[in-house]
Amino acid sequence: MNPLRVLIVDDSSVMRKIVDRSLRQAGLELSEVFEASNGVEALARMQETRVDLILSDINMPTMDGLELVRQLQGVENAKGVPIVMITTEAGEAHVVQALSSGARGYIRKPFSPDQIKERLIPLLQG
Amino acid sequence: MDAENKIEGTNRVQLIISAKSSGPAKDVSKQAGIPREELQQRFTQALDSAAAEVFEMMVGTPLGPSDQAALPRVADYTAMIGLAGDLCGVLSFRCGNASAVQIAAKMLGINENVSEECARDALGEICNMVAGSFKARVSDLAAQCMLSVPTVVSGKDYQLYPLVNGLRIQVSKTFEGALIWMTLDVHSS
Repeated sequence: MNPLRVLIVDDSSVMRKIVDRSLRQAGLELSEVFEASNGVEALARMQETRVDLILSDINMPTMDGLELVRQLQGVENAKGVPIVMITTEAGEAHVVQALSSGARGYIRKPFSPDQIKERLIPLLQG
Repeated sequence: MDAENKIEGTNRVQLIISAKSSGPAKDVSKQAGIPREELQQRFTQALDSAAAEVFEMMVGTPLGPSDQAALPRVADYTAMIGLAGDLCGVLSFRCGNASAVQIAAKMLGINENVSEECARDALGEICNMVAGSFKARVSDLAAQCMLSVPTVVSGKDYQLYPLVNGLRIQVSKTFEGALIWMTLDVHSS
């Protein structure tokens, strides 16, 4: 697998760093990591950058993760890019809502690097 | 969740956190059809397990037992998450400055001191994850329950007065020998 360009979207800077570290601990090679603290920042980033993977929280101020996923469908650079939600909101209703909005996967916080690997590798290889 | 600040005197701030549903507050025990003591025990176990899971997976340090149930009048840091929907209320997580810094450093996998901003951010996420994990453990009672974004208060001169007037769950644990506290005040919508 080629080194990945990843966008991590979370309103917590600590959580963005943890996700970054967990991706590396899961054995993924990252060539570039972009960060955004809400959906609006992520959308702006995606207008100018192409990435291989987007990991987004759901519960964020300004624009939440579900709205971000919906709006990314109209962004050229996001076409075909897998979006995976990483969130504490892991009830069935939230999972269904996220997947029907266009997300390709779902990881519940708290998570381990093994869980990240288990969920992401099939997506990235598929 | 409403937050109201009242200034008393020149430099004292009283923060009042209240959780209100759109209609009158309902007794969560009656609403669930579960005796109050049984529900209290179930919520306490769920909160205890949620905190244990979050600390083991995200901090890398298991929580220890504590026999001190009483809440401190003031903790250096208080992180709060509002719940709305099937369960309405507030989950708060309190700890001292040294614990906050250590928790943040361990979450980030670093040894050096972290900034106050970083400690606040880390505690907000801890509270958020504990609330999410708790919710998953009582999903039959909280299927339609939303969580707010976290709020974190730091300082020495404040008190919290949750106005939920419903079920109160208190769990105290130790983190590397220092006490931490979690309190859940809930009622049904």
